[in-house]
Amino acid sequence: MNVLQLKKLTKKYGEFAAVDQLTLAVQEGEIFGLLGANGAGKSTTINMIASLIPITKGEIELLGKNIAKNGKFAKSNIGIVPQELAIYEDMTAYENVRFFAGLYGLRGPELKRRAEEALAFTGLSDKHRSYPRDFSGGMKRRLNIACAIAHRPKLIIMDEPTVGIDPHSRNYILNSVRKLNEMGSTIIYTSHYMEEVEELCTRIAILDHGKVIAEGTKAQLKSIITDQKEIRIDVRSATGLDTRKLSEIAGVRTVTVNDEQNSVSISTDAEVNILNRIIQGLMAADIEIRSVEESQPSLETVFLTLTGRSLRDS
Amino acid sequence: MRDTIWLIQRTTLAMLRSYKSLLLYLLTPVIGIGLAFLIYSGQGDVSVRIGIVNQDGEQAVASDVVHFLDSIRNVEWSDVQEEEARELVLAGELDAAAILPSGFSAWVKGGKEEFPIELVALEGSMAASYIRSYLDPYIGNLMAIGRTAQSGGESFDAVYAKYKAAEFGLLTEDVADTSAQRDMANRAIGYLIIFMMFSAVNLSAFMIKEKENRTYFRVLASPVSAKAYVASNVTVNMLVLLVQMAIMLVVMIAGFGIKPGLPLWQLVAVLLIFAWVAVALSLVIVAFASNSMAASAMQNSLIITSCLLAGCMFPIDGMPQAMRTIADFLPQRWLLDTVSKLQQGAAAADLTMNVLTLLAFAAMFSMLAIYKFGRNRDARTYV
Repeated sequence: MNVLQLKKLTKKYGEFAAVDQLTLAVQEGEIFGLLGANGAGKSTTINMIASLIPITKGEIELLGKNIAKNGKFAKSNIGIVPQELAIYEDMTAYENVRFFAGLYGLRGPELKRRAEEALAFTGLSDKHRSYPRDFSGGMKRRLNIACAIAHRPKLIIMDEPTVGIDPHSRNYILNSVRKLNEMGSTIIYTSHYMEEVEELCTRIAILDHGKVIAEGTKAQLKSIITDQKEIRIDVRSATGLDTRKLSEIAGVRTVTVNDEQNSVSISTDAEVNILNRIIQGLMAADIEIRSVEESQPSLETVFLTLTGRSLRDS
Repeated sequence: MRDTIWLIQRTTLAMLRSYKSLLLYLLTPVIGIGLAFLIYSGQGDVSVRIGIVNQDGEQAVASDVVHFLDSIRNVEWSDVQEEEARELVLAGELDAAAILPSGFSAWVKGGKEEFPIELVALEGSMAASYIRSYLDPYIGNLMAIGRTAQSGGESFDAVYAKYKAAEFGLLTEDVADTSAQRDMANRAIGYLIIFMMFSAVNLSAFMIKEKENRTYFRVLASPVSAKAYVASNVTVNMLVLLVQMAIMLVVMIAGFGIKPGLPLWQLVAVLLIFAWVAVALSLVIVAFASNSMAASAMQNSLIITSCLLAGCMFPIDGMPQAMRTIADFLPQRWLLDTVSKLQQGAAAADLTMNVLTLLAFAAMFSMLAIYKFGRNRDARTYV
C-alpha cells in the first residue's frame, strides 16, 4: 500500500520549475531516502507535502486521499522533523512537546501520556522540565524529533536530522529512526551523509532539477553504473600526493584523496584491470600502501555520476 | 475554536514569561499618566504676586484699596517701594506692581475721570489683566461716589460710609477650573495611544519571531489553520490593549484623581475602536516586515512620527497649519478629536464622521494585512 503518492507534482515560481512533473510513491513501512543537491527540489517537495506552499500542478495523495481536498486529514497524519530547529526556547521540553501535540487535537491525560512517551522515546525524560537553551545541540535535535512524533503520524518526514551533532546523539537519532519504522511509521529521510542513507533507507529517489532521475533500492541504483568500479587504497600518509599522475593512467576516471582517513579512492572503467599500474604510480610517489580494496560503485558514486555533483559539496 | 484557544494559551504564556514585555504592557500606561500629571499639575490654582506702592500714606481710601486687593483670592501682596517695584517685576519676583500715587484719595474724592492707579507689569501680562479686572469696577465705584458727592452736595465720606455699610453687594462664587484636568486627561490618553500602538506591534511581532525560530511553520504544518493562528494573536493583542486601557483609566481616575471630562463608557468605546485600529496597523507592519529588526524599525519610525504629528505628545494647537493638515490623515488625530468633542458635550450625530473615519482606518489596515498575509508563502526557512 502506498502511504504517499506524488502524481506529476509541479511547483513553478514564474517560469522556473522548482519541481517538475515529479512522480513517485512511498510504500507503507519504508524508510525512503530522498537525495538531491541544493536546489534539486527536495525542500519544495516536502513543503508541498506538508501543505506549507500551494501546488502549481499535479496531485499528492496521502493514504489514498488527495491532500488538497483532505488537508486536515493529511496534516494529522504527517510529522515533520525540519532541518533547522523549530522549538520554543521559552518553554520546557515537556511544554514544547505538549503544545505541538495539542495542535493535533490531543487533550487531557492522553496528551500528557503521548508527550511523555515522545520525550522518553528521544531519551529526554530526565530533561522534561529543562529549557532548550540549556540543551546541547544533539538534545535540541532530539526534542525537535519528539515534537514531530508525539501525535503518532503515519508518515514522518525527516530533513537532515543529524546535521551538526555529536556522534552519540547521531547514533541515538539513527536508532530512533529505525525504532519508529519498526513501530509502524513510514519515513522519508533526507541527508547529506550518504552513509546514513545507505545504512537506513530501503528505497531511494535521487532528485535533480525538480525531477526524479533515479529511484529504487540501493542495489538497483548501484546497478545503474555497470561500467565503473571503485578502488580504495589505504596509505600511511596521503599528504602531498599528486593525483594528476594517477589520473593520466588510461582507464582512470576520478581520483579522490581523503587526507583525514589517509585513503585514495579511484574510479576506473569496469572492463580494464589497471590495479598494478596504480600501485606502481603510488610507490613511485613514495606513498606507503597499507591495504587495497576493490568494490562496486558506492551510492555516492552513483549520485556523482547522475548529477555531476557530490552530495556533501552541493 | 479549540485550536485558537490552544494558541491563545501559548501566546499568553510567552507574554507572561517575558518580563520586559509585561513591564511595557502594564507599567507604561501608568508612566504616561504620571508624566501627564507632572506636566500639567502646576496649572491649577496659581497665586498672583503683586507689589503695592502706597504713596498715599494712611488715607482711608488708599488703605481700603490695599485691603480690597488683599481680599482677592489667589493674590499675594507685599509692600514695596516705587524704585524697586520695576526691578522686581522685571526679575519675575512680582507679577505686577500697583502704584497708588500721593494724593490718590483726594483724586478719587474729587470725582476725576482718569484711572488713578498705575499698574507696572510685563507686556501682555495675564496677572496685570487679572488685577485690572478687579480694580476697574472697584475704583470706578469710588470715582462715581466722588462725582455723586460733588454734584449732590454731600460729603464723600458720608456717601462712602453708606456704600461700605450697604447690605447689597456682589457675591463672587469660584468655579473650579477643569481645563488643567482635561489637559492632563488628554495628555494621558495621548500617551496611552502611543503605548497601545507599541504594545500591539510588539505582540504582533511574536508572529515574526515565530517565523524566525520556525515554530510558525511547525504550527502551520499541523491541522491548525493560518487564520486560527492569526486570530489567536489578534485576540491576545486586543486583550492586552483592554488591560492597558483598564489600568490607565483606573490609575488616572482613582489613583491620580484626573477626571477624563466625558462619560467613562464613551471613552472606553472610542478607545476600543482605536484598539482595533492599532492591532490592524500592527498586522500591516508585521506583514510587510521581513524580520524582527525591520518590524522594530518600522514600528519606531511610523508610531513615533505619526503620534508626534497627531498631537499625542504635545497639543496640536501650537503646530503649523501644514502639520495639522497632515494630522488629519492619522487615526490618532481622529481619536483625540473624538475625545475632545465628547469632552465638549458633542451630540452623537456630530461624532458620526469621527467614528466612521476611525472604523475606516481599522477596516483599511485589516484588509491590507489580510492581503499581504495571503501573499506571504515563504516557507523556505522551515525545510
